Amino acid sequence: MKPGNQARPVKQTILWGIISLAAYLFIFLNQQTVTHYFTQGGFFALVVLATALVFSMIHGAFANYLLEALGIRAIQKNKGGH
Amino acid sequence: MAQLQPSNLKRWGLIALGTLVLLAAVPAIGEAAGEVVDKNAAKEFIQLNLFGIFFLFILGFLGGLISGFIGSGGAFVLTPGMMSLGVPAAIAVASNMCHKFPKAMVGAFKRYKYGQVDLKLGIIMATSAVVGVQIGIQIQKMILARWGPAGSNLYVSFAFVSILTILGIYMLFDAFRAMRSQTEDATSGLAEKIKNLRLPPMIKFGVANTRVSLWVTVPLGLGTGMLAATIAVGGFIGVPGMIYVLGVPPIVASATELVIAFLMGFTGTLNWALGGFVDIRMVLLIMAGSLIGVQLGAVGTTYVKEYMIKLVMSTIMLIVAVSRGFAIPTYFHQLGTITLAESNVVILTNISFVTMCLALATGGVIILGNMWKRKKEIELEAAAEAEAKEQRVLQHG
Repeated sequence: MKPGNQARPVKQTILWGIISLAAYLFIFLNQQTVTHYFTQGGFFALVVLATALVFSMIHGAFANYLLEALGIRAIQKNKGGH
Repeated sequence: MAQLQPSNLKRWGLIALGTLVLLAAVPAIGEAAGEVVDKNAAKEFIQLNLFGIFFLFILGFLGGLISGFIGSGGAFVLTPGMMSLGVPAAIAVASNMCHKFPKAMVGAFKRYKYGQVDLKLGIIMATSAVVGVQIGIQIQKMILARWGPAGSNLYVSFAFVSILTILGIYMLFDAFRAMRSQTEDATSGLAEKIKNLRLPPMIKFGVANTRVSLWVTVPLGLGTGMLAATIAVGGFIGVPGMIYVLGVPPIVASATELVIAFLMGFTGTLNWALGGFVDIRMVLLIMAGSLIGVQLGAVGTTYVKEYMIKLVMSTIMLIVAVSRGFAIPTYFHQLGTITLAESNVVILTNISFVTMCLALATGGVIILGNMWKRKKEIELEAAAEAEAKEQRVLQHG
């Protein structure tokens, strides 16, 4: 498969871009409260881990679609090509 | 719903076992890093301005790009980078570690989809690396107790410079050899000998397409962990080790390193977060860039020949070694062995940091340049193919 020959997921990029932006805005518009609670330690350590994981999924999905929308896709090599 | 195949069950069993072992060792892993810092340090959380936000995004992007491509080595500049913004060392180390594991997870997932990850190898290496981290920390603590922070920094710098220089030069020559002969890649003589060492239990690694004794794999994991505890970038020994000792293809070694980075980063973060040292705002800003970079780097591995992974890794290792070399006189000054003017200390520290950024930028340019070149070649090939097809149609009416 050659890169750039497939349909470009522009809609998904915009959708996940909005979700990602909203998540970032939510954190940064409340940064004082967020920093206060997230640095309490103890139970909040799990919240820190969960937040990092959630953002990796949301923003990771956006980044994935963004690259595909820009036509940057993996080139499928033949199996056993190593 | 799809039934779980026995091979899948075995795989998930391995993951669960590895995770349990790692969690059991949580208290120590987070200290990993040439980054044994005082956890009683005051927690100060800086005000982020526009420059800081942009700076973290760019560093994150470049670091992610390198990590996605060579499996690790993209995060070493982030701790000093955050400290240059006025962030205390403990917060910088904790936040750096917290951004590593989601980035490694996304990169590992992407490269798993490309069939480049050997999960079994990653879990065995990560589990033994945990023990290696413990050993590394004990050595660090011993040095810290005997020679103080400057002595510890000096030890870290010497380890950095010597290991990275030796491995970097060897790998660079190897990459040039492969480039000249235009071969995809060749296994090393040492790896061939190791494969013939039939010391049970022998383990077959399917994706890596090799069969090696556990007695070789575990010490390699230990070494990776020890280096992670010393210079913060275990991948600089893990990836060359997998290539030259276990005979794993560079593309699989760099992808598998992401699994190791994820497991170690996850448990390390838990430890730091329990103490409340993670600044989630900085983590998220770095991730904003690094999640794009890591996927771009992962895609990049499918564009290039395997020796490019060695070339990028060795180039970065050598520039980072030079960068760390610039920091050594300062530590001698702190130990009282030599005397430097304060202005010279500042200049050397700045040169060291800028050189580190240069390592990151150089790696980024090589990766993106080669991807761009290959993309153009593919487009030309496609255009030529389309033209030939059109002519055939015209000839045959």
